Order: sequence, then C-alpha cells, then structure tokens
Amino acid sequence: MRLAPAVRSTSLLTVCLLLLLACVSLLSVVSGATEVAWSQVGHGLGLWLRGAPDADYTMVDRIVVDLRVPRMLLAIVVGAGLALVGALLQTTTRNDLSDPYLFGLSSGSAAGAVAVITLTGEVLGVWTLPLAAFVGGMASVVVVLLLLRRYRSHTPERMILAGLSVSFLFTALTYYFTFLGDQRAAQSVMFWTMGGLGSARWDNLFIPLTGLLVLSLFSWHRRHALDAMLSGDHTAHSLGIAPERLRLQAFVVCAFATACFVAVSGVIGFVGLMVPHLARALAGALHRRMLHIAMLIGALLLLLSDVVSRSILAPQELPVGIVTASVGALFVMYTLLHQSDGA
Amino acid sequence: MKTKPNLTFSCRSWLAACGLSVLSLAAHAQTFPVTVDSCGENLTFAAPPKAALIHDINMTDMALSLGLQSQMAGVSGITGWYKMSPEFKQALGNIKEIAPKQPSLENILALKPDFFFAGWNYGMAVGGEVTPTTLKKYKIPTLVLSESCIHVDKARPPASMELLYADYLKLGTIFGKEAQAKAQIAQWKQRLAALPKATGKEPLRMFLFDSGEDKPFTAGKFAIPTAMMAAVGGRNIMDDVDASWGTVAWEAVAARNPEFLVLLDYQNDGGADKLLQFLQKHPLMQHTTAVKNKRFVALRYEELTPGPANVAAIEKMARAVNR
Repeated sequence: MRLAPAVRSTSLLTVCLLLLLACVSLLSVVSGATEVAWSQVGHGLGLWLRGAPDADYTMVDRIVVDLRVPRMLLAIVVGAGLALVGALLQTTTRNDLSDPYLFGLSSGSAAGAVAVITLTGEVLGVWTLPLAAFVGGMASVVVVLLLLRRYRSHTPERMILAGLSVSFLFTALTYYFTFLGDQRAAQSVMFWTMGGLGSARWDNLFIPLTGLLVLSLFSWHRRHALDAMLSGDHTAHSLGIAPERLRLQAFVVCAFATACFVAVSGVIGFVGLMVPHLARALAGALHRRMLHIAMLIGALLLLLSDVVSRSILAPQELPVGIVTASVGALFVMYTLLHQSDGA
Repeated sequence: MKTKPNLTFSCRSWLAACGLSVLSLAAHAQTFPVTVDSCGENLTFAAPPKAALIHDINMTDMALSLGLQSQMAGVSGITGWYKMSPEFKQALGNIKEIAPKQPSLENILALKPDFFFAGWNYGMAVGGEVTPTTLKKYKIPTLVLSESCIHVDKARPPASMELLYADYLKLGTIFGKEAQAKAQIAQWKQRLAALPKATGKEPLRMFLFDSGEDKPFTAGKFAIPTAMMAAVGGRNIMDDVDASWGTVAWEAVAARNPEFLVLLDYQNDGGADKLLQFLQKHPLMQHTTAVKNKRFVALRYEELTPGPANVAAIEKMARAVNR
C-alpha cells in the first residue's frame, strides 16, 4: 500500500487526527435533517452541562443533546472499534481482506435481530433487539469454533473458510426471516443489514463502549505478540508466542466486540476492511503505533459517512452502510489502479 | 372503539346500498367497450371481466363494495399480512386466495384471470416477474392503483382523495357498474363534506407513524394519508417528502412538532399501543405536543391505503381530532 509515505512521527500524526476528529465531531452535531445553528449547539450543551431542568430545553436543544451528541459518540466508538477489529483480524489471520464480515460475526448479529423482528416481536422491551443481535453474533462464533474444534491447528485459511460458511448461512437465515415477515419488517431489516447510527441513546452507548474497551485492553496487552505475528507463524513461535492460541483469542475478543457494536448500530461494512490499510500506510505496521491511528481513522471515517448519510437526502436518512460501502469500494478500486500503475 | 363505529357504518352502508340499487336500476345499462387510464396508459375492455384477480386488502375492499364477487376468480396478498374482519371474510365468501403475499407469475397464470388489479409495491415490483407488461403477454389487462403510479411516473400530482375516487370509478366502469360507483363516490363526498373541520388558524400538524425505530417509516407527499389528513383540516408534516411511503429522520419529525398522530395498527405484536409506548420513550418524540397530550388515532392498513375504508377512517380521524 503506497497511499502516503509512512510517517514515522506518529505523535504528530495523532495530534493532527485528534484535531480533525474534533472538527468533524462538531460538524456532525451541527449538520443533519433539521437545521441547527452553531449558537444553538452552544446553548443546548450549556443547558446540559448546567443540568438545567427539562422545561428549559427547546426541541433544537433536545436534538443536539439527546440525539446528535450520543450519535456522534456512537459513530466514534463503533468506527474506532470496527477498525480495531479489522486490524486484529488482518494481523492474526495474515489476510488483507479480513474484517468482521468475513468471519460471520456481523451476519450472525443481524440474523439474531431480524429473527426477533419477524418471529417473536419485542418480548423484552427496548433491550430485545440489542440482546438478540448480541446473542446472534455470539451464536455465529460458537458455530465457527465448533467447526474448528475438530482440528488441532487453527490455520488462517481454515478460520476464514469456517467464517465464510457461517456468514453465508446466517445471511441466508436473515433473508429467510425477512421473507416470512410482514411488510413493515422489511424496513427494520434494512437497518440491521445496512447499518445506521439513528438508534444512539445515552442509555445504550455503554454496549458498544464495553466492546471497544475489551478490544483496546486485549490489543494493548498483546501488542508485542501481534507484532511478532507479522513475520509469520514460525517466527512468532520462535519468539515464544503460540500463533494459533493468539488467533483464537483475538477471534473471540473480536466476535464479542462486533456483537456489541452491531447490537446498536446494525451491520456497517467496509470500515474494518479499509481502515487498517490506511493506518498501516500512515504509521507503519507495528501495532504500538498503528492501532490507535487505526482507531482514530475509523472514528473519523464513520463520523464523516454519517454526516453524509444524514445530509444528502434530508429530511430522509440514508443507511450509513451504503455510504461506507461506497467509500470502501472506491478505496479498493483506487488501490487497484495505483498498484497497476506502479507495476 | 372498533365495534361502535362499525355498527353505525354498517347501518349507513345498508341505507346507502338501498339508495344505490334504486339508482343503478334507474341508470341506463353501460355500453362497452370502455377505456380507462392506468398510470398514463389506456386500457380498453370490450366487455366486463368475468374472472378478475384482485391483490391486497384495500383493492379487494373496493371490489367487494362494488359487489363484484361473481366476477372475481381470486384474490392475493391478504392472509399473509393482515387479520380479516368477520365482515370482510363473509363478503369474500369462497373466493380463493392464490398467494398469501405477493403472487408469482405462475400463481396468476394457474388461475387464468382475465383482469388483475394491483399496484407497484402492492403485489407488483418494478422489474419483477409480475408487471402489466409481463401479464399483457398472457392477455391479462392490469389496472394499476393510482397511488402507486409514482413508482413509475415521477410527475404525479400530490395526494388527494382522487386517489380513491378515480380508482373506484375506473373499477366500476370496467365492470359495467359506472353509475353505482359514481353514486357511491357522491355519497362519500357528501360524508366528507359534512365533517367538522379542525379549528385553529394553521392546519393541525399531523404525523403518521407506521413503523421503524432508528428511523420512522411514514407517508409522504403522494400517499393517501396526506389527503386524509387534509380532509380533517390537518396537514401531514411530512408532505414535503417526495415519496409515497418512506423513511425520514426522527429529528425532522420532532422539530416539526406534530400535534396529532396517526398510528398504523397492524393488529399484531402490540399494535398501535406499542407504537405509542415507543414514542413515549423516545428522547425527542416524548416532548412533542402530540405525544405529551396522547393525541392519536389508530388506523388499520386498509384504512390508510386507497379503499372504501378510507372514508370511515377519515370520520374516525375527525372525531379523534375534535375530541
């Protein structure tokens, strides 16, 4: 990948990305289906920080405080998380195309949510769908692990094949449930299969946050082992690391985190695939430097995509997965063209 | 709420039916061939169809209210989605349903109908196997629901009650019951003219909530609920959405602060009550005037898609608005 020369000074890069993230965060609070002036953002946030009583809020204040701020935070958390999942999976399976999609993690979660929408309805109130998505995601992991149990060695190829087959199976299930459902179910199904950040609420942010926390702790704890994996199973082994065990651990952690993300935002594609490549191009392959850059770029990318998805068709909203998939596909095309140029 | 209006309605419709039968006796027999417009295309019938296939509960309602049972070979798209009322079931008699949801081309050809009444996304999909073009090959003329024409013709006028009247009249004309259809429409217009209008200088801000959590699914500029809201002196706050039915953003709905809600009661999974509960918990919607004051009316699918049930639904809406 030769998108940019590898920047060695990652701290400068980090500061730049953080500043950019702050700007885009503000932009995402200001833009959307309804017009919100900068001064109103200040007003709403002021009320919130003061802990003002409900009666003081205008509807625009509420839009800012109750909808757009949690939505911005959800974009940051899920974007950073998906990028991290992609980076971990790409390193441990040594496959550039690894992302949460490829291993059936996302499709399991979507199938869980869609099954509930079409078959049982919300038996457990507002928590039904996040819970069902989480259970579906974990179910897909269990199936992959069962498939791998027969073998003593978990080679990347075998993991990817197991993941792909599970992914196809759960996608088929999702479509089957959609077919069974009533007319309005198709609308909800679209949300779960194409993703969106419209469900962000203060009281459900902790779900994706938990996923991100677990992911970050794991990758920080295992950063040296991950670096060792870059030079292959044999080298890693000689450095005292069990590659297969690390692969499995990373897989389970990624699965848990992805299920947490999908539970609130649906399946958002391409962030996990594309961002690690950008991060490696900017910060090099070593994980100590690369992972937080990947998280920042992931957050930026999803935040920007959400601004686009909310603005181009206002007062309608495009599923954000459509935007990320378009950007991702263009990115891959660009990379392809760039490579053939250099050849 | 469900039985009482039904009683008055059935009494009224009985009286209307008496009047209509007198009228139709008096009217001259309609001459064929007749030509009607279907999404901008002319459909000509040399004689009334004898084995019609009607899709969806709202269009079947139109056919049943015109008394077309003896000329109907089948229906489709009813039991897969809705609960039938006992009255509907009785009126339908033993006309068979060829597919509980969307009919396939095979379903239709197996029935050998000589007429199909359906709409875009109401039994037919653009580019799908069942369209007026694919059926033409088998000499099955298709009347397309006017509300759905927006999916193939972007230059349609915004929704008005003509969406019901025009289709009803077309159906009547095709089956040689033009006079009966005209009389029924006149009676509907009379009923709507007699409605009390919502008071206030500005039209009442109304919002239809069909379904959806991260984004609401609602009726836009070209869907009949927009016309129904206007009929009670209200305005659909989403009448600037260039679609018949579609999703919008919650914040756009909340910012326009609806004063009155129309909730789509699918009669399953908690129905309209569940929709209201959802709105009462929504961070923005719970603060809107309509949710705070619990101002809403629950209407079923066939009451909110073009069909005879629209008229009683508008009366129901007017009562709820003026309560």
